[in-house]
Amino acid sequence: MLVRSIPKRGKLSGLVRASRGAGLVVATLLVVPVALGQDAAAWLQRAAGAARSLNYVGTIVYQHGSRVETSRLVHLFDASGEFEKLTNLDGPAREVVRNNDQVRCYYPDAKIVRIEPRSFRNAFPSLLPQQLSALATYYFFRKAEIARIAGLETQAFVFEPKDGLRYGHKFWADLTTGLLLKARLLNEKNEAVEQFAFTDIQIGARLDREMLRPPFVFTPPDWQVRESPPGEVTPQETGWVVRDLPPGFAKVVEGFRVLRGKPAPVAHLVFSDGLVAVSVFVEPTPSSPQPVGLSQQGGINVYSRQLDDHLVTVLGEAPGATVRQIAYSVGHR
Amino acid sequence: MVMGKLQAVPGELQAAGTMDTKAEAISLLVDGELEHERFEHACSSLREPECVRTWVCYHVIGDALRGSPTMPAGFAARFSDRLGAEPTVLAPTRARPAPTAVAWAAAATIAAVSVVGWVALTTMPGSDVGPSIAAAKQAATIRAADARPRVDNEYLLVHQEYSPTTAIQGVRPYLRAVAAGEPDARP
Repeated sequence: MLVRSIPKRGKLSGLVRASRGAGLVVATLLVVPVALGQDAAAWLQRAAGAARSLNYVGTIVYQHGSRVETSRLVHLFDASGEFEKLTNLDGPAREVVRNNDQVRCYYPDAKIVRIEPRSFRNAFPSLLPQQLSALATYYFFRKAEIARIAGLETQAFVFEPKDGLRYGHKFWADLTTGLLLKARLLNEKNEAVEQFAFTDIQIGARLDREMLRPPFVFTPPDWQVRESPPGEVTPQETGWVVRDLPPGFAKVVEGFRVLRGKPAPVAHLVFSDGLVAVSVFVEPTPSSPQPVGLSQQGGINVYSRQLDDHLVTVLGEAPGATVRQIAYSVGHR
Repeated sequence: MVMGKLQAVPGELQAAGTMDTKAEAISLLVDGELEHERFEHACSSLREPECVRTWVCYHVIGDALRGSPTMPAGFAARFSDRLGAEPTVLAPTRARPAPTAVAWAAAATIAAVSVVGWVALTTMPGSDVGPSIAAAKQAATIRAADARPRVDNEYLLVHQEYSPTTAIQGVRPYLRAVAAGEPDARP
C-alpha cells in the first residue's frame, strides 16, 4: 500500500521547531525573499520530511568510484519515534541500527559494535537566511526530467554549482511523497562521485518491528563494544578560526567535543552552504603518527595537516580543493 | 603536511612567504591548479630543499591516492641519493632560472625514478625533520593498505550529524561508514 498523503505543512514546521539543537537560528521559508532559494529549499524540506516521517523498506545501491554496494533499508516512524535499519547485502553483513537518537553500527567481520549517540535534529536543514540565499547565489537550481526510479515516478532536480568550490547535486524525488529515491554527487566534469539509488522500494508499507531488530540484544562476550561519549557540542568559541572560507559557507556551530579515542576535547566547527556541510576538527597533535594530506571516502573529501602542535582535519561533501583551502586557512583567532 | 615543523629561511620569509603558503602553492602546482600569477613564485621556491621535499611528498601522496603499487625496497634511499645529486634543483642559481625549467627538472627527477609507489607520510612527534625523505624512508616498509591516509571514522560519523545530506537522505550516508568494499571504513 502506498501512502498518498504528504507531510502537512504544519507537521514540517513542527519539525523545524523541533530542530532546536546547537543554537541554530531557524528561519521559516515564508520570510525569505529569494524565490529561487525558496523553491530549492522547499524541495529539500519536503525530502527531509519524507525521509523522516514515512515508513519505507527497500534496496539501495550505493556507488562510489568503481565500487558498488547493495544494502537493505527499513525505516519506521511511529508514535515512539524514528527507527531505521541498514544492512549490507554484499560482503560482511555490517548493519546500522538507529533507534531515535542512538545509532549502533555492527561489524561482524571485526566483532565490533559501535554505539553512537547522534542527535539528528541538528542535521535538519533548518536553513539560515544566508544559507538560503547562498543556495540561490552559488547554485543554479532547476527542475529536470520526470523519471521512473524503482518503479515510481520521480521529479529530478539539479543543483549545479556556479563555482568550482562545490559539487553538483542531482536528486530524484518521488512525485507523491517527496522522498528521494536517487541522489547523485557530481564533480566539475559532471562525473558521478557518489550515488545512492533505490532499486526497489515500498513506501507506506506495513512494517513489523521485527524487521528493525538488531542482530543481538546482549552483546556476545567475544564482541567489543565501542561506545562514544554523549556528544552534543556546547556552543562556544574554540579559539580557532577559518580565515579564507569559501563564499556561501556560513558557520552552523562551533564548540568542543569529547570523542572516543581522543584524549583531549576536539574543537569542532561546522560550516554549511545550505546543501552540504564541511567540518573542521582541531586536536592537539596525537602521540601516534597521523597520515596527513588529502584522502577521500565516497563523496567525502578529507584534508589533514599539521598546524604548530595541532592536527587540523577538514572534511565534507565538497571537492578536495575546497577542504584543502579551508584546512590551510585555519588559524588562531 | 607537517609544515609547522619546517623552518623557513628567515631572510626569505617576507619575500617568499611562510612555509605554509609555499606548501599550499606547491600543492596546487602539483595538482595543476595554481593560478598563473603565482606560478613563477612557486617554481622558484623549489630551489629550497624543504620545498623540493614538499614537492616530492605531495607527488607521493597523489600517487598513493591514485592507488599506485607498493614501493620497492630501498626506493626511498635511492631516491634520496639521487635527489642529493640533483644540481638543477638544489644548487644556488646565479640567474633566475626559467620557472618552468625548474618545475620540469623536478618533475623529471621524479619521472626518472618513475616507480613512485606509496610512502606513508607521517608526522613525527618529537622530531624536527618534517615530511623529509628520512621519514619517507622509515615508512617505506609499511604495507600500502595499512599506510593509506584514511578517513577518521569518528570524525566522519560526527560530521554526518550536522550534514544536511543526512537530513535529506536519512541514515543512508552511514553507508560510507560501513561500506564493505571500502578499506577506509573501519570500525
